[in-house]
Amino acid sequence: MPFAQSLLESLGRDLPYLYGPLFLVFAATLMIWPGDLLVGRTNKRAWSYVAFLVLAAGGAMALYAPLGQGFSGMFRVDGLTKGFQFLSVLAGLITIVLSQPQLNALREQTVEYYALILFSTAGMMLLVGATDLVSMYFSLELMALCIYVLVAYLRHQERSVEAGMKYFMLGAFSSGILLYGISLLFAATGGLTTNLAELNEKLALATPNHTLLVFAGVLMVLVGFAFKVAAVPFHMWSPDAYEGAPTPITAFMSMAPKAAALGAFVRVFGTGFHGVSGEWMLPISFLAGASMVLGNVAALRQQSLKRLLAYSSIAHVGYMLLGVMSADAQAGGQAIWLYMLTYLLMQSGAFAILIHLQGKGEGERIDDFRGLARRRPVLAFAMLVCLLSLAGIPPLVGFFSKFYLFKLAIEQGHITLTVLALLTSAVAAFYYLNVVATMYFKEAPEGELKPMGSGLALILTVTCALILVGTLFGPKLLDWTAKITLG
Amino acid sequence: MPSMNMVLIFSFLLFSLGVVGVLIRRNALIILMCAELMLNAANINLIAFARHSGTVAGQAFALLVMGLAAAEVAIGLAIVVALYRRKNTITVDEIHLLKG
Repeated sequence: MPFAQSLLESLGRDLPYLYGPLFLVFAATLMIWPGDLLVGRTNKRAWSYVAFLVLAAGGAMALYAPLGQGFSGMFRVDGLTKGFQFLSVLAGLITIVLSQPQLNALREQTVEYYALILFSTAGMMLLVGATDLVSMYFSLELMALCIYVLVAYLRHQERSVEAGMKYFMLGAFSSGILLYGISLLFAATGGLTTNLAELNEKLALATPNHTLLVFAGVLMVLVGFAFKVAAVPFHMWSPDAYEGAPTPITAFMSMAPKAAALGAFVRVFGTGFHGVSGEWMLPISFLAGASMVLGNVAALRQQSLKRLLAYSSIAHVGYMLLGVMSADAQAGGQAIWLYMLTYLLMQSGAFAILIHLQGKGEGERIDDFRGLARRRPVLAFAMLVCLLSLAGIPPLVGFFSKFYLFKLAIEQGHITLTVLALLTSAVAAFYYLNVVATMYFKEAPEGELKPMGSGLALILTVTCALILVGTLFGPKLLDWTAKITLG
Repeated sequence: MPSMNMVLIFSFLLFSLGVVGVLIRRNALIILMCAELMLNAANINLIAFARHSGTVAGQAFALLVMGLAAAEVAIGLAIVVALYRRKNTITVDEIHLLKG
């Protein structure tokens, strides 16, 4: 059987690239069955440890994967792949820790919750290494399908199910558009290839009567991605999904899928559609500008901190699209990676405090932070560090990541957009500082706060410490990023 | 053998039907079906152009898309059922708890 033999041979050669995600998928499947017979479905604490260790092991396997390309050019492991895989795994680990207070207060089973996080992270790890539209599309869907379920996980709460419904409907719609765009590009190459590198050559050589096909295909892929990263005007689902989802899942959605989708965004547009960049440069700059303006302006009038963070994450995506527009995909990917890393730290610190104050109920309004500085000075200071860093105020680490991104955009000649980004950053400082003012200058309500759980406290300490340490080393951050993401 | 332009026009009509359906119908089940129509429109392109070039990659892609469509429908129906149990309706206009 020469066919079976060659199949086995190529599997043996290419499989090491995928050990990380494959391990996650197998372990998550085993957790659902027969793992629940061994550990017991009601033992929530044990499951959280199992999920954490499995995810950490999967991440370590991915970090030690060999560099190279496999599966007929469908998957590629390079420095950028590993960098974004690291971000996804880190966000997954943080989410598992953040989930503890809420899951312990619920009667729902938790095995599936952790398994879905693991499946979704595996999807992200595949997505950031995908070098073919086929593998890109399916890993994107593996990631997204799991998150739809996670958003609707609290099925006894109306708003959770509603958020899941809205997210699912728009997600299914956008994935239809994305797939149709891919099929048009496939048609434009004459039905020969979906590989990004080959596509790049073929699309640039497309005959005049194929240009409409190429234009429509690239635009539809762009729309699909814009939905996934929630860029204006394709952001409608994101505030509702963020508000209705269980808060740890909100944190997860604002970090991991964004990091993975932006990583794939850079790869697809930077390498696959590089030759036809004239077709997508203008639409994407409109997406970026609209996201910066609308995300920041809409965040101004939010009363709920979850919605505020949702709108501000739309604005942050707008900034990161500047990196996607960079003609040098490697430099753009590095700037986005650094931005995403610092964003992830600040966001998880802010969410740790939000989850702590929220308790069982719905106490996520900005008013709940009144007088926090007097009741819990340390907590208020940690929140201050996270928010100022999110606003990009120097000398905190959020400033440096913004600085590198904007510097790259200016070097690439996107002057107008960069000026717009600077102006809207000033608007962003206003609503972040509004929360700070509420914490420091308003009277505290009556009642004692319960002490913070050890998991949340650990996350908060580590993220704040990293933000402050990163501040000291700000000027060197980009060099380190370059070293890491070049592998 | 139909020309490739005919295939593209046909698949585009199917795709438009799906998009318009998602945008104007208010019943969650019908929206779900229309989203499937969009996927199938893409499948037609994939299969036709794979035949045209004489390679099998596009046909394999289409098979995988069918599997994905089934998974998507399973999750979508589960969410619709959960919503129906809470609210006794699957009309999307009556789902407006979250806004702002």
